[in-house]
Amino acid sequence: MPWIAKKDPEAFEVFYDRHGGAGYSLAYRILGDRSAAEDCIQEAFISIWRSGARFDRTRGSVRSWTLSIVRNRAIDALRSKSGRAPKLTFDDDAILESRPADEQTEKEVLAAETAVEIRGALSQLPSEQSKVIQLAYFGGFSQSEIAGMLNVPLGTVKGRMRLGLEKIRGELAEGMA
Amino acid sequence: MSADQHDRRLEEVAAFALGALDAAQIEDFREHLAGCKRCQDELNWLAPAVRALPEAVEQQSPPPELKVRLMEEVRADVAAAAEQTRAAERRERASSRKGFREWLGGLDIGGLTWKPLAGMAAVILIVAAGVGYLVGNGDGTNVHTTEVPQPNGIVAEVINEDGKGELRLTGVEQLPKGKVLEAWVARGEAVEPVEMLFTPDEEGNATTQIEDLEGVDAVMVTREPTGGTKVPTTEPFVEVPLES
Repeated sequence: MPWIAKKDPEAFEVFYDRHGGAGYSLAYRILGDRSAAEDCIQEAFISIWRSGARFDRTRGSVRSWTLSIVRNRAIDALRSKSGRAPKLTFDDDAILESRPADEQTEKEVLAAETAVEIRGALSQLPSEQSKVIQLAYFGGFSQSEIAGMLNVPLGTVKGRMRLGLEKIRGELAEGMA
Repeated sequence: MSADQHDRRLEEVAAFALGALDAAQIEDFREHLAGCKRCQDELNWLAPAVRALPEAVEQQSPPPELKVRLMEEVRADVAAAAEQTRAAERRERASSRKGFREWLGGLDIGGLTWKPLAGMAAVILIVAAGVGYLVGNGDGTNVHTTEVPQPNGIVAEVINEDGKGELRLTGVEQLPKGKVLEAWVARGEAVEPVEMLFTPDEEGNATTQIEDLEGVDAVMVTREPTGGTKVPTTEPFVEVPLES
């Protein structure tokens, strides 16, 4: 994003118009509170404005990078509020974002008409698989915490996460076919 | 590693991709991942599913005031940067380069003078020298920790791991609404904000990441409006001098 390196406020405004809605929706989904979601978006987008020159195009799309920053901020806020220590670090996102399949991924997501098909894929998951994925991704809970909450063995949680993600992944791949 | 042990690792790929590994397992898994093609392939396959999850969220419209506030802050940043540039040019013209100790004694940033911290900083320098320690963590990286008591019962700890840093505070008072903690790094006379803003948890613990500690003389913390600022608007209540 060369415009950020140039510190162009008008370009940043366009960037916000494109991704601010998705970011706010994600923050609201995680935090469940409009005011907290607004704070989260303000912090996330200002951090992007101040550090966006660090965005590496080879690592994936601007959108997934932006949403991962929003998600991290929101989970940090959630964990901070509940007294839980922050867990997911930016390094882990960097590992995810650096997967070589990124470019293909973006196409896959777009080809799947994003929200509708992905929601469909999620809704088709068995509820126990959907639940562990949502607790982890949108709740910021660790697999051990989830096992405790659901009163199931840790291995069961791991298995449900894996099966659930594989099904979503399969749906995405089918959307490309 | 036996096939059974590896299958257990493979089971953890999904949890890692979702950010759901327990904190104690993350480093260990990263190390395994770096050398395991099969787990890398599994992560390659699953990562798109994780990245797709935000798209499944029901869309909400952010309030227009949010954009207004955001753009006000962005434009204030631009103005502050321009002012910083002008100030730097003025300093260059004055051509009187201050050393770090002198800088601590009388730095003026945007009208804010940190003189009251000069004496404390001198004491802290001595204390810091006594509690800094260097350890190897077994994987070839070096970790240097500097722990420095601060006024008001706060303890600040800067962990330097091969140039990347983490600042951990304990004993921090809760912040009023609309305020966050912002860390700053000083290199010579230059003071730059740390990207990641942070807040204390209910127990008064607060942590932020510092991307680059290379050449940093001191790490400081101020209380700033939500979203942070480009230059400090209050005096730092934490100051950790580092050995450059």
